[in-house]
Amino acid sequence: MDIQIFQYHPLIGFHFIPDLQTRIQHESGGYLLRTNNAGFRSERDFVLEKNPDTFRILLFGDSFTAGDGVGNKYRFGDVLESLIPGVEVYNFGLPGTGTDQQYLVYREIAAKFEHDLVVIAVQVENIRRVASRFRMSQLASGEKALLAKPYFEFDESGALSLKGVPVQNTPIRPEELTEDEQGYVDQGGRLLWLRQAINKVGGQVKEVVQRVSKYQPLPEYDDPKGNEWTLMKAILKKWIDECEKPVIVMPVPLYHYVEQTASADSYRARFAELADIDGVTLHDPLSDCLSVSKAERRAFRFETDIHPTPSHHRLLAESLSRPVRKKLEDLSGE
Amino acid sequence: MNPTILGISAFYHDSAAAITRGSEIIAAAQEERFSRTKHDPRFPSNAINYCLSEAFIEPDELDAVVFYDHPLLTLDRVLKTIIATAPDSLAQWRKAGRSILGSKLFIEEYVRKALGTSIKLYFAEHHASHAASAFFPSPFREAAILTFDGVGEWATTTLGIGKGNRIKMLKEIDFPHSLGLLYSAFTYFCGFKVNSGEYKLMGLAPYGKPVYADVIRDNLIDVKSNGSFRLNMEFFGYLDSDRMTNKKFESLFGGPARSPESRITRREMDLAASIQKVTEEIVLKVASYLRDLTGLPDLVMAGGVALNCVANGLLQRKGIFERIWIQPAAGDAGGSLGAALLTAHHRLGVERNIAGDNGDSQSGSFLGPAFSSVQVRAFLDRGEYPYSVVSDSGERSNLIAAALADGKVVGLFNGRMEFGPRSLGARSILGDPRRPETQATMNLKIKYRESFRPFAPSTLREKAAEYFELDVESPYMLLVAPVRQERRLAENGPPDEGAEDLLAIVNTPRSEIPAVTHVDYSARVQTVDRKYNAAFYDVIAAFEESTGVPVVVNTSFNVRGEPIVCTPQDAYRCFMRTEIDMLVLEDCVLLKTEQPRSDDDDSWKQEYELD
Repeated sequence: MDIQIFQYHPLIGFHFIPDLQTRIQHESGGYLLRTNNAGFRSERDFVLEKNPDTFRILLFGDSFTAGDGVGNKYRFGDVLESLIPGVEVYNFGLPGTGTDQQYLVYREIAAKFEHDLVVIAVQVENIRRVASRFRMSQLASGEKALLAKPYFEFDESGALSLKGVPVQNTPIRPEELTEDEQGYVDQGGRLLWLRQAINKVGGQVKEVVQRVSKYQPLPEYDDPKGNEWTLMKAILKKWIDECEKPVIVMPVPLYHYVEQTASADSYRARFAELADIDGVTLHDPLSDCLSVSKAERRAFRFETDIHPTPSHHRLLAESLSRPVRKKLEDLSGE
Repeated sequence: MNPTILGISAFYHDSAAAITRGSEIIAAAQEERFSRTKHDPRFPSNAINYCLSEAFIEPDELDAVVFYDHPLLTLDRVLKTIIATAPDSLAQWRKAGRSILGSKLFIEEYVRKALGTSIKLYFAEHHASHAASAFFPSPFREAAILTFDGVGEWATTTLGIGKGNRIKMLKEIDFPHSLGLLYSAFTYFCGFKVNSGEYKLMGLAPYGKPVYADVIRDNLIDVKSNGSFRLNMEFFGYLDSDRMTNKKFESLFGGPARSPESRITRREMDLAASIQKVTEEIVLKVASYLRDLTGLPDLVMAGGVALNCVANGLLQRKGIFERIWIQPAAGDAGGSLGAALLTAHHRLGVERNIAGDNGDSQSGSFLGPAFSSVQVRAFLDRGEYPYSVVSDSGERSNLIAAALADGKVVGLFNGRMEFGPRSLGARSILGDPRRPETQATMNLKIKYRESFRPFAPSTLREKAAEYFELDVESPYMLLVAPVRQERRLAENGPPDEGAEDLLAIVNTPRSEIPAVTHVDYSARVQTVDRKYNAAFYDVIAAFEESTGVPVVVNTSFNVRGEPIVCTPQDAYRCFMRTEIDMLVLEDCVLLKTEQPRSDDDDSWKQEYELD
């Protein structure tokens, strides 16, 4: 049975249905999913004012942050809370979103919640999503269809301009798109037909093909002046500039980088450019990921689902806990 | 200690899962509702997922997982039967062997895969699961227990006693002597599907005369005074072939079995009446013996035969027992619940918490998934389906009642889905029982069938006796009762003995509520208690307010061959494929006249195998 778990939002595109309590079937056996009254995966409702004794973090990201494949308590945001007493994490992660939509979540919903720190967990594939206007999604009926998303473009003055809002509510059939629009569909990567064929064959073949072909999943990071990175960087800069509190940007690696079948040099170089922005701390967890054995790294994802397993979430939380502790120390020093 | 236990039934028919905490039933559901395959026998991954979702626990937090049947004992029965009937039974072996060796024996592997964790799996015995499903949720501290079904391991009929948190089996009748299989043999012979068409045979019985009852008694079954029985296997095919009956059976009843979907003749009507009569006699005899054996005034029942609501109604009226409680999921689906409760009480020593106020622990059998108004609206908004929100429940009830009084057909989707084969007001299609045309309209335009069976009435609990000769509650639609004499229409009596046009017969008004009155003036009554389903109760009350009649037609929310709807998506799909006029999804009201044209052509009708 396909349960409808998302609700339309005219600006962001969608968020979780509020106050939902369900279990999602998954190759791991399934996982529990609870949402709060704001429509985000959380064991508690978000409140505007924080307790003076707590250090509240607003956390943003996509399905890696929202926790596809694992129960709420296993997500790195929730594990981070358990690692540092007094830390409270409000997880605004939304599966399938790009950094553009996550910025809109911050601006429209999250910013009003009193906080001490913003953590933007940029799953590196998001660079492709910010450049897209439509995304293939699975509907509650089980059918696949395109859903429109909001997006940013540079206007004549070079400023970011929000487009595609209010977001079209109804699903779109691919043939309804114009030729121009078809170029803005996020297919989840290049060479869709080849990936689908290889995925059908199975995991081992896929890994061998990727290794032999030296498959690089995200060439969009290769060119520092490329359209996708320029847009991504501008969105992140705008977001960071609007934050009144410190920001940690954490690029979350795909498994290709964790398992070293692809080079992370390009994306690491691009994100390093952000370190110069005032008020931002760049935290790259890839080194921590690479510090464990090959077998442990393979266990960071499921058999076929590439989302982080509980062990990967734990490592991300432990990695992120270092800059967070530093922020706490800075705060107590003030 | 409140252990959480997952019960599973699977691999025969009507797979299901149930979850209990302490003595409380948290959730129970049949796999077919999620998979959309009627009577789905496959491992109930979806139903298990739902149960864990409702309990909101991880699999490793479960205290036990239990299967409702013992595969090794079943294997023992199959092997011994094959040896005894070889070589004729090889075809049967190929069929049964696949099911038993291919699935049941590897149940632990299925469970590990579905749960993603290793957890000890317990096995309960089939009839003990049925007995537990009947006794533990019942309102009785102690009661006699009676289970009848086709077969489970070896037993086909068991008599027992329940007291506190224990049940004890006292007597049993073993395979191949089975009242369930006897009834199924006639179901098959009359051209209906075994394990699903038995209720059709029961519905056909009032058209016939029990002229074959003596033939059955003299040739097919030897019934002792205590109700115990033995079948004469010379007339049955299920031991050594994949058919229920054989040539000798055909000779006894004047020729071969009726072909499915062909015209029903006087022979099938009389056969139905005859086997129904013999079944009732056996049920009454066994019940009398059980009453004497236990000395207890209360009876609980389960097993597929306990869904024979005509026999149940007769048993009730005979007064052999003072009170009767029947598990609403009496078939194999309910075995999942019984297995979980049996493990809780017997293995883990959980004390039984008997519901007060004479109520049971079945929660109206509303044990399936519910969908919030926000979820419903999210679905409707995504599809841009026109709807209006009527938040005030009183206003909503009046709106539905007015539509019904105006002859409209309403799909009602409200709260948690029912566990068991009957729609009880959570996933129901409603109509006006006063209109003679309701019967034909709902059958032809909604169910897409020509049925000789009338629909069932749902009535307010406290008003039931005004329309039916029924002095007890029937919350699960498991008792058939006569329509009161004063409500009957004098001009239309029982059908002529020679009449064979069933549709003409059933469409002849016989009471003030013709759409729910069978040809023998009987009705399969549901009494509705506001405590368990306020929204449905209020609809009936509002209908009474506007029409003076506290009764509505209640039929399952599906088309023929389709499992009852589970989700808002299922309900909307069924709404659009049929001529239901109004759909009420929680507080959202949809009118057919306002909906966009459906892209569906008639090809969807091939999706469902005819039942």
